[in-house]
Amino acid sequence: MTEYVIEATGLAKSFGNFHALKGVNFKVPLGRILGVIGANGAGKTTMLNAVLGLSSFEGNLKVMGLDPSKDRDALMQDVCFIADVATLPKWMKVSEVLDYVEAVHPKFNRAKAMDFLSRTNVPLERKVRALSKGMTVQVHLAVVMSIDAKLLVLDEPTLGLDIIFRKQFYQSLLEEYFDEERTVIITTHQVEEVEHILSDVMFIKDGDIVLESDMDELTQKFIEVMVTPGKEEEAMKLGPIAKGSTFGKSTCVYKDIDRETLAKLGETRRLGLADIFVATMTGEA
Amino acid sequence: MNTFTALIKREILDGMNGYIRVPAILAALSVFLVVVSTIGFGATIEFDDVLVHGDDVNSFGEALEMARNSKEGPEQLPAAVTLSYWVMGGISWVALPFVVFFSLLSALYEERRDRSILFWKSMPVADWQEVLAKLVTPVVVAPLVFLGVAIAAQLLIAFFLSIVVLFQGGPMLEMWPLATMFGTWFFFVTHYAISTLWVLPLLAWVLFVSSYAGRLPFMWAVLPPAVIAAIEGILFKTTRFLEWFGIHAGGWQAFAYGHMDVDIDGPKDVLNLIFGGVQWDAFTYTVSSGQFWIGLVIAGGFVFGAIEQRKRAI
Repeated sequence: MTEYVIEATGLAKSFGNFHALKGVNFKVPLGRILGVIGANGAGKTTMLNAVLGLSSFEGNLKVMGLDPSKDRDALMQDVCFIADVATLPKWMKVSEVLDYVEAVHPKFNRAKAMDFLSRTNVPLERKVRALSKGMTVQVHLAVVMSIDAKLLVLDEPTLGLDIIFRKQFYQSLLEEYFDEERTVIITTHQVEEVEHILSDVMFIKDGDIVLESDMDELTQKFIEVMVTPGKEEEAMKLGPIAKGSTFGKSTCVYKDIDRETLAKLGETRRLGLADIFVATMTGEA
Repeated sequence: MNTFTALIKREILDGMNGYIRVPAILAALSVFLVVVSTIGFGATIEFDDVLVHGDDVNSFGEALEMARNSKEGPEQLPAAVTLSYWVMGGISWVALPFVVFFSLLSALYEERRDRSILFWKSMPVADWQEVLAKLVTPVVVAPLVFLGVAIAAQLLIAFFLSIVVLFQGGPMLEMWPLATMFGTWFFFVTHYAISTLWVLPLLAWVLFVSSYAGRLPFMWAVLPPAVIAAIEGILFKTTRFLEWFGIHAGGWQAFAYGHMDVDIDGPKDVLNLIFGGVQWDAFTYTVSSGQFWIGLVIAGGFVFGAIEQRKRAI
């Protein structure tokens, strides 16, 4: 039997007349890295806030078997999150942050956090206020990666950080934290940086889940064809979900059409996650 | 309990200036003023041929000696000395109401403003624990810290004056009425506890404001009560709300002690009045006062409201 970390049915949330989340159903099993991808205001953060017990919701939602709107404190024994790059208390020293987490979190391993931090240039006796943005994230990441949780939620964790740091961030996440006993959920705009570590993706648009798939399946589903001149009409008949042009040739993106059929139209290639996202968002709707 | 201790510790760290530095600096200032006024202006301890009941008194030490040997001395002197320590080391108390008010006002406001609430909420700590820690730290822990600092100041002043008396050949031990001093420290705690329970609805209101105010929490805390009082005054020409407010803020004592036959004859009576004799009257008046219990229910309502707000806040 698959163990699900999150089970949601009819999960909805409205702010006045605005339906931020329109009754979505989804399940997230243990041992996955799920990317939640959507434009600004699509409902990603609304969904994650419900999962983390940070806001109320309608519908049915169980996270590790608990109702997050009622049992946030119990849930946080097994769930960690970084909601924003700048949520660490600025008036605390780094060592005081560690003291605090050690005192309130039974699953925090201080030695592990110290090990992570020893590989950075973060001064332990400095206040968070005086750290650079990158260092602040390093501290926060050292804290969450030293908590033996089952679910880690990262909402735009690398916003505003430089490229080298972002690479290291995802590398250490994959190599030193993730295993089959944990699930990680990431939302980000920098899709290219996470696509190689994701096992599953979910596209959200206007409060609805428009696509849910595992990565291998997804990259096989979407194929782009650089159409050989003269075969444009034939290409259109197959119903591309997106069209464009490169180097004077027209390109078509297809979903769920087998590769051999498409190969007759021209040169085929797999799409990256970002392209699939754009094609899905602009094409079908 | 470990979690709650950690929360209290965090609150003290956050409010280090108000909880530790301010009372410590003011207490140091008290001691400093005592030392300067004693040494710097030698006049306070070296008198020029002052005649008291026909005796020559030339120094503080001699005055002390004479007080001890007077008829009332053994009874009154410990009280006089203890009272003078409270007065001399008393500057820091001026800051306590401000520390309590502003700590409560920022308790649940600042964490929302700087978004650190998202970090606190990622920890397995219930919202009611957070809110209680933010109530208990300024209301219970802060006054105890202030008291500790005041005690330290009193002991330092006693120590300093003992040396002065020693040099002047006076009865140094008279500067250490420890039993009396200890009694006042203890009664301070019980009296403060009763006063705090009285003022709790007002304090809980401030905490509640801090949990919902989007901005300008000070205005939210101060304006609504002022508006209620003004409307009442204009519409009904009465001041019930202000009276209610005043009674909770300390006015209850006038009723608690009103029936007492106050007869002050010497420092001992003053000390007893402030630190001893009234305790029982304060207690019996309080537990039999309906307004007191209603106030506690109102305080509970505000604290409950603050917890509910905290649950929803991000």
